[in-house]
Amino acid sequence: MHRLWKEFSKGLWKELPPFRVLLGLCPTLAVTSSAENGLGMGLAVVFVLTLSNLIVSLLRKMIPPKVRIACFILIAASLVVTVELLMQAYVYPLYQTLGIFVPLIVVNCLILGRAEAFASKNPVLPSVADALGMGLGFTLSLTFLGGIRELLGNGTVFGVPMTWDSFQPLSIMVQAPGAFLALGLILAAMNAFSNWYSRRHEETPPRALEAITSCSSLGAEPMVVLNGDDANGNGNGANGR
Amino acid sequence: MDYFLLVITAVFISNIVLVQYLGACPFMGTSKAVSVALGMGGAVIFVMTLATALTWPIQHWLLLPYRVEYLQTIVFILVIASLVQLVEMFLRKFVPPLYESLGIFLPLITTNCAVLGVAILVQRSEYSFIRGVVFSLASGAGFLLALVIIAAIRERLDTAPVPRVFKGTPVALITAGMMSLAFYAFRGMGG
Amino acid sequence: MRELVKMVLVLSIIGTVSGYGLATLKQATRPAIEEQVLTYVQGPALLGVLQGVDNNPIQDRKQLPMADGEELTVFPGFKDGNLCCLAFESFAPGYSGDIGVMVAFDVLSDQVRAVGVTTQTETPGVGTRVFVPAFCDQFREHPLTKLALKSGDGDIDAVSGATISSNAMVNAVQKAAALYPELKERAVAAWQE
Repeated sequence: MHRLWKEFSKGLWKELPPFRVLLGLCPTLAVTSSAENGLGMGLAVVFVLTLSNLIVSLLRKMIPPKVRIACFILIAASLVVTVELLMQAYVYPLYQTLGIFVPLIVVNCLILGRAEAFASKNPVLPSVADALGMGLGFTLSLTFLGGIRELLGNGTVFGVPMTWDSFQPLSIMVQAPGAFLALGLILAAMNAFSNWYSRRHEETPPRALEAITSCSSLGAEPMVVLNGDDANGNGNGANGR
Repeated sequence: MDYFLLVITAVFISNIVLVQYLGACPFMGTSKAVSVALGMGGAVIFVMTLATALTWPIQHWLLLPYRVEYLQTIVFILVIASLVQLVEMFLRKFVPPLYESLGIFLPLITTNCAVLGVAILVQRSEYSFIRGVVFSLASGAGFLLALVIIAAIRERLDTAPVPRVFKGTPVALITAGMMSLAFYAFRGMGG
Repeated sequence: MRELVKMVLVLSIIGTVSGYGLATLKQATRPAIEEQVLTYVQGPALLGVLQGVDNNPIQDRKQLPMADGEELTVFPGFKDGNLCCLAFESFAPGYSGDIGVMVAFDVLSDQVRAVGVTTQTETPGVGTRVFVPAFCDQFREHPLTKLALKSGDGDIDAVSGATISSNAMVNAVQKAAALYPELKERAVAAWQE
C-alpha cells in the first residue's frame, strides 16, 4: 500500500507533468485556452495513460525487447482511436474544440515515456498507480493553466464570470502567445517556490525542469531493433525481468 | 499565386510552432544552439514532406475506399515511425555525408507531434496531393525558421543576467511567447 | 530465427486484437456518432432554417433514395400535424473546399424557405462575409426561379470581394432547388404513411 501511494503521489508533485517534467508540451500549450478544455484533454490522457500502462504491464513478459517500442506505439494508438470514437459519440463539442490534438495524444511523450520507463518494468498495480498519479497531475496542471489563461483572457473560469465590471480581458492570453507566456511564468513561480521550500527545510532544491530531454531521448529508441548491437535496448528490457 | 499564398500562410501566418503549437517539445528541447537547430529543422522538413507524400496515398487508396478512416491515427503513426527508421538506415548506408548532419536528429522525430500533426492536417483540410506536399514542405520550413530564431536568442540568453528562477526553460518559454506575439503581426496578411 | 518468429507473432496478435476491438467499438458507437454529428454540425443551421416547426427534425429524419442511386438525408418540418417544409444539405466547391448549405423548402408554396451554412473553410475575413445574415436572408421566401447572382440571370446580390464564395453558395442552393421537385413527391409519400 505504501509503495502504491508512493508511485501515485510522485506524479502530483515531485515529477508533476508538465510543470516539473516537461512532457507533452503540445497539448499543454494548445488546449489550455479554457479550464474546461484543459480538463477534457487531461481526462482523455488519463484514460489512455492508465489503460496503456495496464496493458503494457500485463504484457511485459511477452513483448520481445527488440520490438517493444513498436508494441507500445501500437497499444497507445489503439487506445487513442478508442478515445476518439468515444468522444465523437458522447462529447462531440469537446472533440471539435480539441480538434487535431485528440489524435496527437499518441505522440504525447507522457504515454510512451511511462510505458517505457515504468510499466514495462513493474507489476500491474504499481503501473496503474503510476499512470493515475501522472495522469491526475497532468489533468490538474492543464486545468490550472487553462483556468489562469481563461481568467486573464476572458474574465471567466469554467465559463463562470469571475472578475469585476471594469476588468478588461487580455485576449492575447487565450491565444498562442499567452500560452507560452503563462507556462513560462508558472515554471518560474514553481522554481521560486521550490527554492524557498528547500531553504526552509534545508534540502537541495530539486531541479527536474531540464528533464525535457527524456522526451527526446525516448524517441531515439528505434522502433524495431534490427541488428545485433542493441545493448542499450536489451539492457533496458532485461532490467525489469 | 495560389501556391505562393499557401507557402506564406504555412511559414508565417499560421506558423506551425508559434501559432499552431505543434512540435513544442523539440522546439524547447533542441533549441539550445543554432547548429543543433539547423540539423533538427532540416530533418523535420525532410521527414514531414516524405510522411505526407506517403500518408496521402494511404488515406485515399486504402483508408477511404475501405471505410476505415477511423484507423487513421494508428496507421499514420506506424507509417511515420517506420519511415523514420528506414530513412535513417538508408542515409547511413548510402548518403553518409547527409547522415552525418541529419542522422542523429532523425530518431527524435517519431515522437515529434509536428510530423503526425501535419500529416493529419493535410487530410482534414482535404488538400490535393501536390498541395499537401507543398504545404508540408512549407510547414517544415516554418518550423526550421522558428527553431533557428529561438536558438539564436537562447545562445545570447546563456550569457545574459537572467533572474535565477527564470534560468533555462522558463525564460525560453517567455521568449517563445514574444516571438509568437511577433508572428501574430502577420495575421490578416494574404487574405 | 525463433526470436524473429516471436516478434512477428506478438506484433500481429496485438494488431489483430486491437483491430478487432476497434471495429467492434466503431460498430457500437456508429448511431451515437451519427446523432452527434447531426446535432452539432448540421444542427445549428438546421434549426435556423426550420424555425417555428413543432417537431424535432433530427429525430424525424429519413434517408430517401435518389434517382442517381445515392441516398439523401431529408429533415422534415411539421406544423399542426402537417408536413410544412423539407430541409436537406447541398454542397458546391468554394474558394478552398466545399461549402455545405442547408436549404429548407416550403412544401405548400414551393418556395425556398431559408438557407444556412453548415460547413465552410473559406478564407477568414473574406469568404466568411458571405455567411452574414444579410446575404443568406436574400434566399428567404425566394421562388425556385431566378436563383442566381445578378451578374447572371438572377436577383441575388453577391457580396463584393467574395464573388467565388457567393457563387458557390448560390450554386449549392441551385443544386438543391433542382432536386426539390423529385424529392417532394417521395418525401410527401414517405411521411404520409
